[in-house]
Amino acid sequence: MNIFDTVGVASYIIVSGILFTIGLFGVFANRKNLIVILMSIELMLLSANLNLIAFSSTFGNLTGQIMVMFSLTVAAAETAIGLAIIMVFYRNRRSVEVQDTMVMKG
Amino acid sequence: MTSSLFITAVISPLAGFLCAGLLGRIIGDSFAKFISILGMTLSMVCACIVTWQFFANHMDSEVVHFMEWINAGNVHINWNLKLDSLSVAMLTMVVSISLLIHIYSIGYMFHDTMPTYRFFAYLSLFTFSMIALITSNNLVQLFFGWEGVGLCSYLLIGYWYTRPAAITAAIKAFVINRIADLFFLVGISLLFIVTGSVFYSDIFHKLPDIASIHYYLMGFDFKIYEFIAFLLFIGAMGKSAQLFFHVWLPDAMEGPTPVSALIHAATMVTAGVFLMVRMSPLIELAPYTKIFIVIIGAVTALFAGTVALTQSDIKKSIAYSTCSQLGYMFVAVGVGTYQIAIFHLTTHAFFKALLFLGAGSVIVALHDEQNMFKMGGLFKKLPITCILMWIGCLALGGIFPFAGYWSKDAIFEAVWLNHSTLGYFAWGILLFTAFLTSLYSWRMLFLVFHGKPKKQEIYDYAKEAPFSMSLPMIFLGVASVIGGILLFPYYIGSQQNIFWGNSLINETDNLHMAIVHHTPLLIAKMPLILGILGIILAYLCYSVNPKIPSFLANSLSGLYRFLLNAWYFDKFYNVIFVRPYAALSQALWKIGEKEIIQEIPVILANFTNRSAKGISWVQNGSFALYAFTMAIGLVVIIAAFLIYQ
Amino acid sequence: MNWTLAIPEIVLTIGGLIILLVGAMQKKKNSFFSSAIFLTAIFIAAGFLTLTNVNGLAYYGLFVNDEFSRYMKLLILIAGLLTIILSLDFNKKNKTTYFEFIALITFSTVGAMIMVSSNNLMSLYLGLELSSLSLYILCAIDRNNLLSAESGIKYFILGSIASAILLYGISMLYGSTGAMEYDNIHKAIVSTNYTNMEFVIGLVFVLVGICFKISAVPFHMWTPDVYQGAPTPVTTFLSTSPKFAAFALFLRLMSGPFGSLSYQWQFLIEVITLLSIVIGSVGAVSQTNIKRMMAYSSIAHMGYAMVGLAAGTTNGVLGTIIYLTTYLFMNVGTFSIITSMTKKGKIVENIHDLAGLGKSDPGIAVAMAIFMFSMAGVPPLAGFFGKFMVFWAVIQVHLYVLATVGIVASVISAFFYLRVVKIIFMDKASECLDHRSLSISFMSFGMGTLTVIFIIFMGPMVHVGKVAAQSLFNLS
Repeated sequence: MNIFDTVGVASYIIVSGILFTIGLFGVFANRKNLIVILMSIELMLLSANLNLIAFSSTFGNLTGQIMVMFSLTVAAAETAIGLAIIMVFYRNRRSVEVQDTMVMKG
Repeated sequence: MTSSLFITAVISPLAGFLCAGLLGRIIGDSFAKFISILGMTLSMVCACIVTWQFFANHMDSEVVHFMEWINAGNVHINWNLKLDSLSVAMLTMVVSISLLIHIYSIGYMFHDTMPTYRFFAYLSLFTFSMIALITSNNLVQLFFGWEGVGLCSYLLIGYWYTRPAAITAAIKAFVINRIADLFFLVGISLLFIVTGSVFYSDIFHKLPDIASIHYYLMGFDFKIYEFIAFLLFIGAMGKSAQLFFHVWLPDAMEGPTPVSALIHAATMVTAGVFLMVRMSPLIELAPYTKIFIVIIGAVTALFAGTVALTQSDIKKSIAYSTCSQLGYMFVAVGVGTYQIAIFHLTTHAFFKALLFLGAGSVIVALHDEQNMFKMGGLFKKLPITCILMWIGCLALGGIFPFAGYWSKDAIFEAVWLNHSTLGYFAWGILLFTAFLTSLYSWRMLFLVFHGKPKKQEIYDYAKEAPFSMSLPMIFLGVASVIGGILLFPYYIGSQQNIFWGNSLINETDNLHMAIVHHTPLLIAKMPLILGILGIILAYLCYSVNPKIPSFLANSLSGLYRFLLNAWYFDKFYNVIFVRPYAALSQALWKIGEKEIIQEIPVILANFTNRSAKGISWVQNGSFALYAFTMAIGLVVIIAAFLIYQ
Repeated sequence: MNWTLAIPEIVLTIGGLIILLVGAMQKKKNSFFSSAIFLTAIFIAAGFLTLTNVNGLAYYGLFVNDEFSRYMKLLILIAGLLTIILSLDFNKKNKTTYFEFIALITFSTVGAMIMVSSNNLMSLYLGLELSSLSLYILCAIDRNNLLSAESGIKYFILGSIASAILLYGISMLYGSTGAMEYDNIHKAIVSTNYTNMEFVIGLVFVLVGICFKISAVPFHMWTPDVYQGAPTPVTTFLSTSPKFAAFALFLRLMSGPFGSLSYQWQFLIEVITLLSIVIGSVGAVSQTNIKRMMAYSSIAHMGYAMVGLAAGTTNGVLGTIIYLTTYLFMNVGTFSIITSMTKKGKIVENIHDLAGLGKSDPGIAVAMAIFMFSMAGVPPLAGFFGKFMVFWAVIQVHLYVLATVGIVASVISAFFYLRVVKIIFMDKASECLDHRSLSISFMSFGMGTLTVIFIIFMGPMVHVGKVAAQSLFNLS
């Protein structure tokens, strides 16, 4: 249990790794609706941000934290856009289920 | 001046061919004939002038530059003409006979329904190819002429292309020629490899240098000369219808008679002999090959003589006679007396062409009847033809003082004076063949011109040949009578060294030419005696008692059938070569082509199609699958990176 | 600070903002003003790019300007301009709100330009996100079309996943090297002589994120659906601008910070390239929707462009640049003709709807034939030269398998390109397509002419490309 003696960078990396994986699985192991996918994507972005902050504190550098500022903004914008697109889709299809997005194939 | 005349002599037949062949349809039949005959006449005149100038001014052999052809790297092959006594002598002979045949063809092809400008065009093209062969100064140009005459032979044998027999005969001639040409080409290449050049002058200069090259074959050690000479001889065998390559010559009689006269009597078949003579410096250094040439020549002469005895078609009989006489010429080459070979070639051209033209006039008179057993008693109806055919046969039989006597006797003497077992053996065979020659020639004469007519109807309609046909025959008849005496001193007599210069080479210990006139008297006269014996026997069998031949045929029926079917060569080739080859082609077509090769693009296309459908099937529209694929790709790449480290 | 180097981006951003402001406020619904602002901004930007020659860093090392970035930015600007011209008539018919369209295209272009000039992982991410976000909206801009919405959703979801992967990769890279600037990363890699797991994960994740944008093979599955669903002008823009930007990014990364690791990633790039070429060429064979067919064909084309990258030499980069240039012309031309495919006002997208075009509209038919032949790689049209340069570069480094597979796949792809030509000229039509508008005519004939005469100005173009390629390697 040596790596976990002190809360070092390693634990942050592991946590963010787990979050990322959960988010990734949330995308394709999903039978429910599109909003869950939005949340999973958010989760992935957040895990990356966690990573950045952890590394920034290890190096004593501010670069990582500045990156996180930008990244959070972008994530927010992305979510807004995602919701807007889902709205357009809902208006046409009256549903937000994943199966209904399989019209185009081949 | 001489050179430009020489070039004109070579080019005018080509011009005649181009005008008559390409423009024949536009300018009309008669004008096309006129143009081609004009071309030939021009060539004849130039050739005669060149000959006279050459010998009068005692010119040395020279090379006349004409045009450039191949200039690639180290290979420079241009159109150069060799002007020396051999080429001039052959040129004059070829051009004059060709001109006579052109004139004869006007009358012969007169009754043809289709326009005949094609015929004259091909005749002129043939003449040009033969001249190119004769006047070349390197082996490649000679090969060009060689193939040209083969092509024209094919075109002319198959001239009446609506007849299936004619077409198959033409193809047969071409294919057999081609097979022999393969060996010829290998010979030329081998010569090029060891000497580095294809020009005669270069080759002959380098010959002593390569004497040390030996090849080992089947436990025997041969010099390089033997190989090259052997390969060249095989090529000559094909062109000159010697023993195993002879099967095309009788079938070639399907062509019009002028074609038989020009190509298969006087000129093309003599190209093989010409090649051997031209390469005389090389042949002289290959004693084993010379032995082989003598054997082949003698056996061919014998074979053709025996078969000619049983033929019922007048042209086939004369064709086998040609084959036999070519054997004589090769025997002369084989013992090293090239001058005699050329002499016999020239005299043979005269009387054999005469015989063919005469046969042609008989055929025209009897409205295309060619079976001798249906003719008879024609000397009253066709007197001129009859007299001329008698002259031709007398020349062929070697009766004094006609042309054939001088050349045939010279061959006999040269063979005897070889004083080797082979020489005596060849002498014996040739003697028997001389007997056969007179026998079948007079058989033909008695069957056609004497006796009672067998079919009265065609006899009544027969009439003498028109002037256009008899004029050339008369010229040839005169040549058959006096040609031998006139040319004797120059070709093989006292003036021969001056005449030939160094266009032919004899070995220094080849004293045949010198002592050819010192044979014992009885030996020298044996051919003549046997010729006369043949005439007597023919008279007995075909004139006095016509039942003797049929009696002999019935009692010796096996031998008769063997000779009638030309020693079964055709059937043998059919079984050994033609049928398996046809079966193989059929199999390759059905299985190879149809099932394998044509299926390959289909298989590939099907494969691509199925792959495309597979890729389409993977895209099932669910972005979850897409994301999953991305994840998998990611994992695989990371794994690859980490393992690769 | 040196902000003067970034004038094109600034001008375009201001232009975009003005378009948004004015467009939201104007009463009449015409696109004249928006288009005018856009054109002005583009021309100023392009003028600045071609006429000035300053190289250097701006914004404390976030932004770099050299010949390579100028060339790629010009390509991107031209792509944006051509898309707008193409879309004028289409948007009028579909009643799409134009000013939003133009503004979004402007911002996407700005994002792409920032990507090309990025010298820092931060600006890379920001440029990429700007470009992508605008594109997500553009895909779904046709509010009444279900397919458009679906394509927007798919692109958004998959694109966001890719961005998340990219960001994660950036964080890992930052974690292992301690810097975000390319120069510092390069120094860190060179000084430590080993690469640990963090670094590898970071590198791979960044590459995967970029590969998604250029639709390289395991990450290509969004391409057919998104191309098919989005409105055609958006598809045109989607197939050119983000791809060029991503390629520029790829090239800059591979020759810059990660240049010394080429022995590690070269084989992987080869495999990806091979698969892209094969799947792109073979996949299109069974498609009957022309936009889907073009999607697969663009996967294949990006595969060919990556061949130059796989070579790893200046000639390879040159080949890629030339390939992208020719690809721009051919692609925009083809899509302009696809835009005009309507029958009685209804949009049709099947290949067989082009039947009979040879008789009813020979000009367009010939133009389409030129584009199809050029895409198949037939000399002397432009497409051949792109392929030639790329294969030549890769043969020089002895990667014969790649060249062979590329050529075989070219042959396979000739099938579906020529099938279009065959349908145009040899099939009988049931109904003809509607008459085309002026903008479409201008675009198709213009692009057709450019494709045909490419051979003439190929010389100067190769020279310019070579300068651009060399500047890329000098900077590392």
